[in-house]
Amino acid sequence: MADKIKLFVNGEEVEVEAGKNLIDAVGAVGIEIPHLCYHPALGADGNCRMCLVGIEDGRPPLVPACKTPAQEGMKVLLDAEHIKKIQHDVMEFELINHPIDCPVCDQAGECKLQDYYMSCDQKPSRMTVPQVTKNKKMDFGGGVIHDQERCVVCGRCVRFLRQITKTGELGIINRTDDARVNIFPGRPIDNRYGINVVDLCPVGAMTSSDFRFKQRVWFLKKASGVCHGCSKGCSITIDHNKEKNKDDIIYRFRPRFNGQVNGYFICDEGRLSYKSENENRLTAAFIGKVEREISDVLTAAKKELEMSKKAVFLISPDASLEQMVAVKALAAKLGATLSGYSDGYIKKGDGDDYLIQDDKAANRQGLLLLGIDTTKESFEKAVSEADLFVNFASDLSRSYEQDALTKLLTGKKTIVCATHESAFNGQATITIPVRSYSEYSGSVINCDNILQRFEKAVTKNNELLDICEVAAEFGCPLQTPAEAYAELQQVIGMLKEYQPATIPAEGLNLNDSEAANVTA
Amino acid sequence: MGAKVKTIERRGSTLTERIYLIEIFKGMARTLRHLVRNLRDNKKLLVRHYPEVQPEIPARWRGRHRLTKHDDGTVKCVACFMCQTNCPAECISITAKERLDDKAEKMPASFNINLLECIYCGYCVEACPLDAIRMDTGIFSVTDNNRQSFIIGLEELLTTPGAYSEEDYKKGGA
Repeated sequence: MADKIKLFVNGEEVEVEAGKNLIDAVGAVGIEIPHLCYHPALGADGNCRMCLVGIEDGRPPLVPACKTPAQEGMKVLLDAEHIKKIQHDVMEFELINHPIDCPVCDQAGECKLQDYYMSCDQKPSRMTVPQVTKNKKMDFGGGVIHDQERCVVCGRCVRFLRQITKTGELGIINRTDDARVNIFPGRPIDNRYGINVVDLCPVGAMTSSDFRFKQRVWFLKKASGVCHGCSKGCSITIDHNKEKNKDDIIYRFRPRFNGQVNGYFICDEGRLSYKSENENRLTAAFIGKVEREISDVLTAAKKELEMSKKAVFLISPDASLEQMVAVKALAAKLGATLSGYSDGYIKKGDGDDYLIQDDKAANRQGLLLLGIDTTKESFEKAVSEADLFVNFASDLSRSYEQDALTKLLTGKKTIVCATHESAFNGQATITIPVRSYSEYSGSVINCDNILQRFEKAVTKNNELLDICEVAAEFGCPLQTPAEAYAELQQVIGMLKEYQPATIPAEGLNLNDSEAANVTA
Repeated sequence: MGAKVKTIERRGSTLTERIYLIEIFKGMARTLRHLVRNLRDNKKLLVRHYPEVQPEIPARWRGRHRLTKHDDGTVKCVACFMCQTNCPAECISITAKERLDDKAEKMPASFNINLLECIYCGYCVEACPLDAIRMDTGIFSVTDNNRQSFIIGLEELLTTPGAYSEEDYKKGGA
């Protein structure tokens, strides 16, 4: 724990962490200092002047909070008349040339200008001269659309592309009311983290071409999720909404701050991976190619399991820990071989040294921790000896060509639990649709051994079965999520101190004390 | 405008009234008189010949909705969803799309109002920042024989004209 210091805000004593600037320090105890250009990941720039606060008995008496380290005994003034006047004046200044097109602006509802207008300004404009007009709807490339009129020239986007991605596509050109953010001619935003500037932008100057006009943000329901795009497992907020008479769908993923995993950002690929949660989903159960009621299909699948002499289970490396222990317990009970073979999930050379990983499976560490075999040899050997193959949502098309897969599974009954439509499903004896990761809650372990819990976000009109529920139907000893979690606590010692609801939002770092605790 | 109040004298306490029969015959005579009068000439009848004769609807009365247009005939609505947000009955559903004619950035791709769910409260009109939705069509009777036809779309909302002059509408307090 960092050292604590005491200082005064508006005459009241508060205890804050040492070594931070005033915005972060008092922000952590719930006192917000208005700011536009400062962002914790990008450092203080001090250009917006919105965070000016008074320091009683200080020299100088007026300082930008973003550039001022919190110090013991500091007397910070926030609600003094002259500070309020500064905030009001800065807001008035920012709004001189702002188009105030909130009705058509996607940022409306999560816009700092709107928030600060309500908290600091609330006055009509006094300007009588025409506003400076600039370019609107400029395609900056990389899925970013820029509106120069809305821009407050805080430079967050410019600093992000210079400091974080180190690509520097954006710059601020010209000065005063002619200052505007722009790309260099013919050099659009071209990096794998570019859409983060949309989140960073405190106003509606940067909007995502993907989310543009899809939904007003106040309709969106938020759920904390974990991106399943690669083994980094970035913390995300899943914004979804069920419109009247329609199905619950996801509109966007946004990064959720997690100091242990992804910081404030996520990659563009992960951000847009929400689409696969909405599209091409498998929703109906099949026996052969005939669509049947899910109850009939489960009965048929149970019969197949009873009849089989030797079965092989394949579990997806994207499955949650709860699903893995459930399937493992089922395999142990039925005497089936369990494999986690998923070499196809690894895209060699795709990762970088920031967030993106080669391994596109969200929970491979979970497979290893539970001692589930992942080698190709043992998987193929087991399949060749078996008469029944049960696939729990693993995407085999990533590892096999269609022909090779058909050859491997010739003469064997196959039961497929799948989240998405795929050519492989059509060949299966029995196909059971199951939920994808936005539709169940669970925990996954990322490539750095950090266990994160995510919550169920989407509830479809036609609720599918979870893999845990399918396993329970098949006779798994762990019938409820609570039992699966209890089993998990046996395997991962650190979890003994936590209930699903009490696992911290930033996750548990299993590296800390885990080596000794892992029993499996 | 206050309602006209007419105080009616309480009756029924005199002797002739308490005998009943006399009053009953008086009443029947009056009915007969009305019948004869109306048979001879029905001009003074206090009944509206609906639907041949339509009632006069004041400009501020909230009738069926319409979407207004710019002078050049393009849609005023910018699909800001304020009406949908404000609608207590959740009867409005809009989808937005990019607008390419430089009037605005955004316009409705579809704009559906379910008239069976609408409670005609006028909150959508109040929420609209552009005076793009109005309830001044004067249409008070919305009838049909299947549910689907009560969901009116962009086309129908845009083609329905307002029933009043701009002046009269503004006078209504809009």
